[in-house]
Amino acid sequence: MSRARARFVANRGAVLGAVLVIGLLGIALLAPVLSENNPLASDVEHGLSELGAPLPPSRDAVLGTDQLGRDVWARVVTGTRTSLSIAAIATLIALVIGVSIGLVAGYAGGAVDSALMRLVDLVLAFPLLLLAILLAALFREAELSSSNAPVFLTLGAVGWTTMARVVRGKALVLARSEMITAARALGAGPARILVRHFLPNVAGVVIVVAALVFAQNLLAESVLSYLGLGPAPPSPTWGHMLYEGRAYYRTAPHLVLAPGIAIVIAVVAFHLVGEGLRDAFDAREARSAGAR
Amino acid sequence: MTARSPAVALAAAGAIASLAAGCSPIDRGPRFRPAGNTAPRDGGTLRFSVIEQVRTLDPTTGYDEMTNLATHLLFDTLVDFAPGGLEIMPRLAARWTVSDDGLVYRFELRPGAAFSDGTPITAAHAGYGLERALATPDSPSAEYLADLAGARDVIARKATACAGITTDGDRTLVLTLVRRNPALLSILTMSFATPQRPEHVAAAGDQLRRRPDATGPFELVSWDEGTRLVLRRNPHYYDPARVHLDAIVMLENVPRDTQFQMFERGELDTAEKLAAPDYLFVMSEPAWQPYIHRLVGMNAFGSRMNVTRKPFDDRRVRQALNYALDKRHTARLLNATTVPAHGILPPGMLGRDAELAPYPHDVARARALLAEAGYPGGLDVDYVTTSDEETQKVAGSLQSDLAAAGVRVQIVVMSWATWQTAVGQPGGPAFSFTSWSADFPDPVNFLDPRFHARSIKAADSTNDSFYTNPEVDALLDAARAELDQARRAALYRRVERILYDDAPWIWDYHRMTTEVVQPYVHYAPHAIWTRDYSSAWLDVGLDGAPVPR
Repeated sequence: MSRARARFVANRGAVLGAVLVIGLLGIALLAPVLSENNPLASDVEHGLSELGAPLPPSRDAVLGTDQLGRDVWARVVTGTRTSLSIAAIATLIALVIGVSIGLVAGYAGGAVDSALMRLVDLVLAFPLLLLAILLAALFREAELSSSNAPVFLTLGAVGWTTMARVVRGKALVLARSEMITAARALGAGPARILVRHFLPNVAGVVIVVAALVFAQNLLAESVLSYLGLGPAPPSPTWGHMLYEGRAYYRTAPHLVLAPGIAIVIAVVAFHLVGEGLRDAFDAREARSAGAR
Repeated sequence: MTARSPAVALAAAGAIASLAAGCSPIDRGPRFRPAGNTAPRDGGTLRFSVIEQVRTLDPTTGYDEMTNLATHLLFDTLVDFAPGGLEIMPRLAARWTVSDDGLVYRFELRPGAAFSDGTPITAAHAGYGLERALATPDSPSAEYLADLAGARDVIARKATACAGITTDGDRTLVLTLVRRNPALLSILTMSFATPQRPEHVAAAGDQLRRRPDATGPFELVSWDEGTRLVLRRNPHYYDPARVHLDAIVMLENVPRDTQFQMFERGELDTAEKLAAPDYLFVMSEPAWQPYIHRLVGMNAFGSRMNVTRKPFDDRRVRQALNYALDKRHTARLLNATTVPAHGILPPGMLGRDAELAPYPHDVARARALLAEAGYPGGLDVDYVTTSDEETQKVAGSLQSDLAAAGVRVQIVVMSWATWQTAVGQPGGPAFSFTSWSADFPDPVNFLDPRFHARSIKAADSTNDSFYTNPEVDALLDAARAELDQARRAALYRRVERILYDDAPWIWDYHRMTTEVVQPYVHYAPHAIWTRDYSSAWLDVGLDGAPVPR
């Protein structure tokens, strides 16, 4: 582990990513403190020009105001919280589903393995975003539309496949290892073997994949929000801010740049961390199964 | 897709976006300039688009805004509004007289007036057009002609011919009324009042909506319904000097942002009802300024209160709300395309009291009035608005303005149809968004439906403030019987003052329409008909192409 840490710290990209991730987490946690302006409050008096145009960045609003006179900085900061929490919950869902299916498939092998992997193929056969759009639309029809649940359920439901494949590959190797044969010989049951022996051994690769899935979820959440399938307005999200601001790109470019740059920074940061972890653990499985 | 590629793609997209936004494009202004013709140049095709579709080309049944744009080019009427808006001028009628009692109108047709196939227009054709407006089921304009003698019988299908519509020879149409109607000439400017031929109506049958019998400056070439309407100059138009364009192409169902993109590329010659971002772009670009036309519409917007219900039965509460609203806020939310209102009559309308200033924004005054009325701690009210983005924005602004005066507003959103039904009932919402658009530009079409006791009904009441004031009713009735326009205007000004004080509405704003045209388009919107391109001309080069800037 300490050798892995040394490799991670030596990787400049990874360190930069980690610093950015810590910064983003800090912003998300301190959102209410970082901006005194209410991200939802429309200030017609001070937030709009005489013509009703969004105001450019100024001392009162560091990133300017939007078309309703709302503070863009306050919205980006609040959006950090929304985006990170949705991506985190979605990643957790994907992790639970993916690790469970991967472990079971790898441990049981045979027909169970084949059946579960065909399920993975089935999910993978659909383009990720199209499937997410379909699911998000279905979840919104259900009584969940006022919360963020449709978004993280959707992302969790489509995002677990990579995790399942990687964990299954690792588990297949483990299942044939002498360590497991020994554990069986000592009378350990399947549950004990999975939890005590498999789980610690796949942890490294799980962390790597989780970081990459997290980055993918951040991006997918922005795409869904841009398409109007994200968290319900007026809750600010980067994707929706991008959508609302796009028509103003000529007169108020800050409306596109602020959320756009935020998305780029967040996605790149989590990718750098994920890739840094992968290189640090030298988890070859993650490298090959990262494809989808 | 590899796990790495989204990040790379996004980074690239971000970089492109910053470049596009950061570097100002080489040319943000118009692409063309006027060619420099000093006299109107004949020829060329004018292209414009509308956001919805034209419903029909039958002048009798068409009445919505998009349809009117087309029918106004196809059909001339006996009289018309002069470009400034308030004056009535001759069109197909060369002259007209009104009897001293105001009940008999004689219109003398212009020699040379003809349908687009060259057949001369007679007085009987003009009379038949009006009769069709009365007799056609679901005719939207029958009620406008209800003051004609015998009109009620035709509307009720008890008679086929209207006794009040007669002819005196081939050239003179005589209209006889049962009661005075000072708005009659305004009513006769609408396209339904165009002359029509019974033979054509019979021959066209149910295809009449696609086969207009043109009497106006243009005739139909083709209509791909919902997509494109093409008109060309009417070769038999009585006043060829008035028409310069060879053709007009009207594209239908073009969304606002698409319209502006096409306009910027030079594929459209005019653009109206711009989306807010495009409007702000045009307004921020000095080179476009000479080509932006603004016009106050025949409308009024605000909030109506049911004056029979608490707390709105107290005039001081209603006045307090008028003082509490900051009209500058609404103006900003609507991109400064509004004129603050002091009443229902828009600027330029007969009888509008230009000296009456809108209620100022005065929170202290509002609080004092509320305290006087017995609400020192403010009050809680529900406010109903429609699900439209714009009305919701306005409602949000009203909510925060009124909160400053201690009035806590709870916003209730309804669909347009539900809202419309609900507010027209005495037991419906007591406080809501309201608006009014006139069918024809006369104060009688604003004040009578909204504030006369006669307009109160148990359902679909157009007087949805349920405002009754015998003095207002008497003044409105007197104005209806007054043929002298100056005296009529004086009566309406008195009504305006009373309504201003009684405040059955929170008077908010009148909406302006904005249109931007290519620099080579010579045209000014008509005060009443707005986009009336019948006399527009194109200042283009000798080859007929616009001159690049």
